[in-house]
Amino acid sequence: MSVTGPRRLSIPRRVAVEAGDDGTPATVDGREVDAVRESWLVEDRWWTDRPLRRRYWEVVTTCGRDEVVFHDLQSGRWWRQR
Amino acid sequence: MIVCVLIPRFQLTVAVGERAELLSKPVALAPAAGPGPSRSGRGVGRSGLQARTGGVQRAPRPQGVGEVSLAAEAFGVHSGMRIGEALARCPRLTLIPPDPAGVADLWERLLVRLELIGAAVEPERPGLVCLDAQGLLRLHGGIEGVLTAARRALQVPARFGVAPSRFAAVAAATKARVRRPAIVSGSRAQARAYLAPLPVSLLRARPALAELPEALERLGVKTLGELAEIPIAALADRFGNEGLLAHELASGGDGVLRPRPAAEFLRESLELPEAASGTQLEHGLGLLIDRLLARRERRGRTVRSVVLSAVLVEHGGTWREQVVFREALADPVRMRLALAPRLALMPAPAEMLRFAVERFGPPASDQRALLEDPAVARAARLREAIRQARAAAGPDAALRVLAVDPSSRFPERRAVLAPFEG
Repeated sequence: MSVTGPRRLSIPRRVAVEAGDDGTPATVDGREVDAVRESWLVEDRWWTDRPLRRRYWEVVTTCGRDEVVFHDLQSGRWWRQR
Repeated sequence: MIVCVLIPRFQLTVAVGERAELLSKPVALAPAAGPGPSRSGRGVGRSGLQARTGGVQRAPRPQGVGEVSLAAEAFGVHSGMRIGEALARCPRLTLIPPDPAGVADLWERLLVRLELIGAAVEPERPGLVCLDAQGLLRLHGGIEGVLTAARRALQVPARFGVAPSRFAAVAAATKARVRRPAIVSGSRAQARAYLAPLPVSLLRARPALAELPEALERLGVKTLGELAEIPIAALADRFGNEGLLAHELASGGDGVLRPRPAAEFLRESLELPEAASGTQLEHGLGLLIDRLLARRERRGRTVRSVVLSAVLVEHGGTWREQVVFREALADPVRMRLALAPRLALMPAPAEMLRFAVERFGPPASDQRALLEDPAVARAARLREAIRQARAAAGPDAALRVLAVDPSSRFPERRAVLAPFEG
């Protein structure tokens, strides 16, 4: 029986986010953001040709979901990550 | 080059049997017989040896109608619709009892026939199977030869679609006719061009994308060509991974085929002179187990996974239950203890009982030590449980989290899922 190889956990998934002028998420997947719990910046591999720059946001939506999303500052896209 | 073989309304046709005239009327498969949520909640009393040899419990089945006839489709009834809604749309709708055992038997026979022409098949559901024709082209003299060989082997009317990707081949098969296969030759670009005018509703063939076509149609995206024209980033922003997969399919791409491993199928059946239930059925089951264990083809191997099925009285259809033993068995008494409670799940008395081996275990040579080290015994039980879970749910059933770089600031670098090696 064949068994699959290792698979990464917590892979970022694309998510639809509408952000305000200051970059704060206003909606996540169509759900309105009720509160921002935390925000932090992560930068890595800045010495390579493919640097990683992410602005993370932990938010709570009006339906009570706790979401961790980040804005990829290189590509401008939004991702969800647990 | 992927070949898709499609037998439309396969499950409905098998359930209707000789009453073929029913197919011209509005008919649908009734929800599968078996324990509903209330019965499965009560459970089957198992203790001691029974609990150790018993199989895996399943989730309750959904209560929607199965495949529907063309006449029923004209009323807006479709597969998966709740019975109440289906009857509201078509009050003349006739519900046919499903025949899961008959479908499984016939489908297995058809797959074996395709395998006999050298094809490695990947069945998607009963009535729909894909195979890679690349290795068969020289054997059968081109794609036409492969299709002719497959048609002769099947001996039932089927539609054939050929395309560079699996999704395009399935789409081609839905457009093909029984005697006129739809062949899309070339590469990904040709597949994309073929798919372009087709409706996005074809994406429903993928369970992961079942709800996407409705949303796309609401947004004005009617065809796969329009879908493929949308920038991939915009689709990802709006629909996430489902959007990416839909774009890949609409662009003529798809994942590789994963053919099923070749399997042995050993079966015994017993006609019951009168409608049997209860103790009579248990006696019949004991007889079938003894007969099957005595078959020479078993070659001393243990049994890991079996299928118990029955033909119900008064044209009540069939009943089928797969059981994966907690440990591979060759002892008829333990098998009977594990299987007898399953007979109580049968919805009606039976006129025929069948018992088949789906998967064998290792040869029956295990001998328990007189004084077993508890840690070794525990590890052995864990290994056995992992084998049972994999037999029931596939190779991904038992995995473990392996920390790779736990202090990384990027969550996706911290851990991976790896196969559990007990």
